[in-house]
Parts: sequence; structure tokens; C-alpha cells
Amino acid sequence: MRALEPWVVEPLEVFLAESSARLTLLMTSSGQVVAQHGFSRSLDVMTAAALGAGIVASTEEIARLMGVTRFAGLVHHGERQSCMLSAFGTPRGRWIGLVVFGPETSVGIVQLFFEQMVAQLVSSAPREQAPPPTLAENFESELDASLKALFGRT
Amino acid sequence: MSTVQGVLDRVTRVPGVRGALLVSAGDGLIVAEQLMDGVDGRAAAALTGSLVGRLTRTAQQAGLERPAFVHLRAEAGSVLAAPGPDDLVLVAVVAPDANVGLARLEMIDAAARLS
Amino acid sequence: MSEDIRVLTARLADEPSSLAFLELAEALRRRGQLDAACKVARGGVSRYPGLADAHDLLARVLSDQGDLAGAFDAWSSALQLDPMRAGALKGIGFLYFRAGDVVAALDHLQRAAQADPDDASIPVAIARLRGEVRENGGRHEAPAPSPAPPAATPFEGIEGGEEGFLLVDGGGLRLGGMLRAPSGEDLGDRVAAQLAGVSREAARATRILGLGPWHSIAVESPNGQLILAAPTADTVLLTARDHGIPLARLGLLAERAARAARSWLERVG
Repeated sequence: MRALEPWVVEPLEVFLAESSARLTLLMTSSGQVVAQHGFSRSLDVMTAAALGAGIVASTEEIARLMGVTRFAGLVHHGERQSCMLSAFGTPRGRWIGLVVFGPETSVGIVQLFFEQMVAQLVSSAPREQAPPPTLAENFESELDASLKALFGRT
Repeated sequence: MSTVQGVLDRVTRVPGVRGALLVSAGDGLIVAEQLMDGVDGRAAAALTGSLVGRLTRTAQQAGLERPAFVHLRAEAGSVLAAPGPDDLVLVAVVAPDANVGLARLEMIDAAARLS
Repeated sequence: MSEDIRVLTARLADEPSSLAFLELAEALRRRGQLDAACKVARGGVSRYPGLADAHDLLARVLSDQGDLAGAFDAWSSALQLDPMRAGALKGIGFLYFRAGDVVAALDHLQRAAQADPDDASIPVAIARLRGEVRENGGRHEAPAPSPAPPAATPFEGIEGGEEGFLLVDGGGLRLGGMLRAPSGEDLGDRVAAQLAGVSREAARATRILGLGPWHSIAVESPNGQLILAAPTADTVLLTARDHGIPLARLGLLAERAARAARSWLERVG
């Protein structure tokens, strides 16, 4: 498990231990990765983050069209693995969690401990000024630095 | 009143029962519930569904058939579970002084009538 | 063989389900034929598990044989069935006295006096105990017990022996006990592997639901039943039986086995 921000580590570790999730990705709503567990390739992380952010954005648009408040999350049930996507608010803005899990756990357990993790993230996030918006010309170098941090390569 | 609500109603009428819920064990999600304040139904559904699944595997490894009743006793109360058909489990959260014997009979009977 | 024993033996042989075993075992015990008495008493307990007289009798025989732990368990069972049984209260009081716990001994004897005010021996015993307490300034030194050899297995002396019990460490490895399929296949290791996870899940469930630490899990299946308990923080004990024994009584057996396992772990740990 790797995280860009140290205060994310403990809530995420607790979530992983309790939920038995196989893969977990935490990202901003724009797809910038904050933490990951279980992925072995940076390409997979980037792809999953981009797709996850896109799915959540589409789902929120559907909710808007329906005139309802945002959906709490969505779950795709697979034969051997399932996937949960859930957006949540933090002092650092809106984040998205993508969790892949197998039959050794259940969607109820994953959701239960995901909610606990969100509460812990919200309470442990430093209340400092938000970082400046990412400029396009800095995006690639910032992404590169993030991926190196997430995969432990200096 | 639907069958499910009728089942939950009978169980919650037993003295000491703080809440009853019907759970989809494989998902750990609530199908129906009747809970007093202070009972976290979502947590009960997820945790009991998972535990009953594990106990079922343990019992089967020990050469037993699928459990008909489970009683998890703790310091400040108990969780009772009666597996029914189609991966449904009837769950009750009870106080330490609950009439567990009566709750057990009601739950086993009710779980059988869910099919 | 004395006449009364002969008659009682014949009566029991004619009608194995009769309560003649009570008189027969008592007669054998008084004659010092303790092994025979024990056999008859155990047979009676297994046939009448809900009869306090049977447990009380077994306790007296075991006490005479020097099996004080077994006697304690049997008298405890008698008290579970009949909390005002003077004989069991006296017996346990005596055992506490032997162990040096005068306070517990006095408590049980006082309860025995309430249960049977006509038994003149009880006030005498109480007065003697109080006298000893005054002489020793509140301390009582029991005669030094001969050191018991550590039991080879956790369940020595428990009815059924090793069979139907499984003591497992936190990693899902077997510490003792045996669980077999009807075919004779050893199921112990496979079941042990599941048990560590069960303990963690039970602890998590009761913690999150605000129920405190868990004490036991009872599982009933159409063809058998299990009780799970935690003798120590990092071990799990499984007790398995068929439906020949009522579940509540299985719970008592499991508690007794958990106590035995705890003592064994303390000695070997």
C-alpha cells in the first residue's frame, strides 16, 4: 500500500485489514491518484483512475437528470470479483474510492468499513490551505512524481 | 402485513430482543429490518452475514450439515441467527436478559416459513 | 460380595434405566471399591445428565479417589441443576478449604447451612474454620498439595477425553484435541484452520455492535452441534457433540473443557 499523503495511511490500512479488499484506489474527482493498494503496474493505476473518475462523473450526471441527490456509490457484481465506486467529500475536496473485492468478503463488509475509512479520513485530514490548482504544464511532471511515489521508486 | 414483516414482528415481540433483520448473507446487506434505536442494522447485517458464512464453512469441515441456528454470546448481549432459504439469514440482536430460548424457537420457525 | 451389593447389581442388570445405580455406587464407595463405584456412577450420569443426585454421587466417588478437579466439576454440575444442594455445597467448601481459600470455603458452608439447617456437622465445620482464621490472623495455610504432574493433554479427566474437542492457537494450528469424521478421518487440522478466522470475526462483530468481548458461539446443525469459546485471548476451543446431549449441558461441558485448557496452557506455556 502506498499513499502520497501520510495521514491517509492509517485509515487505509485499517480499511484493507477489515474489508479484505484485493485492490483499492483513492483519487481526486479529477482522477489524480492519492493512494493505491494491490496494483502492480502504473499503467493499470492510471487507467483505473481515469475510468473510475469518468464512471462517477457519468453517474452523478444521471442523478442530476433524475433530480436526486448524488448516489452513495455503485457496485458492479462480477462472477469472481466485484467492484465498488464511491465518491465522498473531504477537507481536500471530493475524492473517489475504487475497491475491487472477491468472494472472501462481501459488499456489505466493504461498504461498512469504507464508510468508517471515510470518516477517519475526514477527521484526520490536515486543515491547511488547499494546494493551488494544477496547471496543465505541470500536470505530467506531477503525475510522474506521484506514480513514482505510489510505486516506491525514487 | 407481508410474510417478512410478520416474521420480524414475531421475533421482535420476544422480551429482550432489540432488533430483528433479514439479511442476504452472501452480500451482507439488509433485506428487511425492524430495529430499536442504537442498533446499527447495516453493521449487524454485514458482520453477521460474514460470520454465519464462516461458521457454515467451519461446521461443514467438521462434518456437520448447514447450521439451523447460531448464538453468539457476548458480555453485553447476543446476536442470534437462523439461516433460511436462498442465502437469507434471520438475525436478532438481543439484550443480556433476553429470553433466548423463546427467541430461538421463534426464529427457527420463522426462517423455515420464509421459503 | 455383600448381599446388598448383590441385590442392587441384579436390580440394575434387570433394569439398566432404574435409579438403582445411586444406591449401588454409594454402597461400593462405602466398601472402598472406588473403581467399581466410579464406573457405576459415570454410567448413571450419562444416562441421567439432568439428575443432581447422580452428579453429587460421582463427585463423592471422585473425591475419595483423589480426583479433586473432577469432583469439583461434578459438584458444580450438581449445583447448576440444584443450587441449594447441601451435599454439593459442603463438598465444594471442603475443596476450597483444601486449596487454602478459606473465604470461599466459608461462603459455601454458610450456604449449605441455609440449605440444610438440620445438618449438625455444618455449624461445627464453620466454627472450626472461623477459629482457624482467628488463630492465623486471617491466613490459612492448607496442607501443601503434592505437585500434580502436568497433564499430557489439555482434556485429561474431561468426559470424552480428547475426542470432540479442538484447542487451536491464534494462527489456526492445533494445540490439542481430536475431531474425527464417522469414517475415522481426522478433521482436526482442517477445522483448526477455520477457527482462528472465526474468533477474529466474532470479536470484531461484538465490538462494532457494542456488545463487548465475546464469550461463546453455539452452532446447531441437524446432525450435530458445536460450542466455540476462547480459553485465553489467543486460543479457541471447539467442543463438538451429536444431539444426544442437550445444548445447555454441552455449554457446561465446554466451560469445563475451557477451564482445563486454560490450566494446561498455564502449565505448559
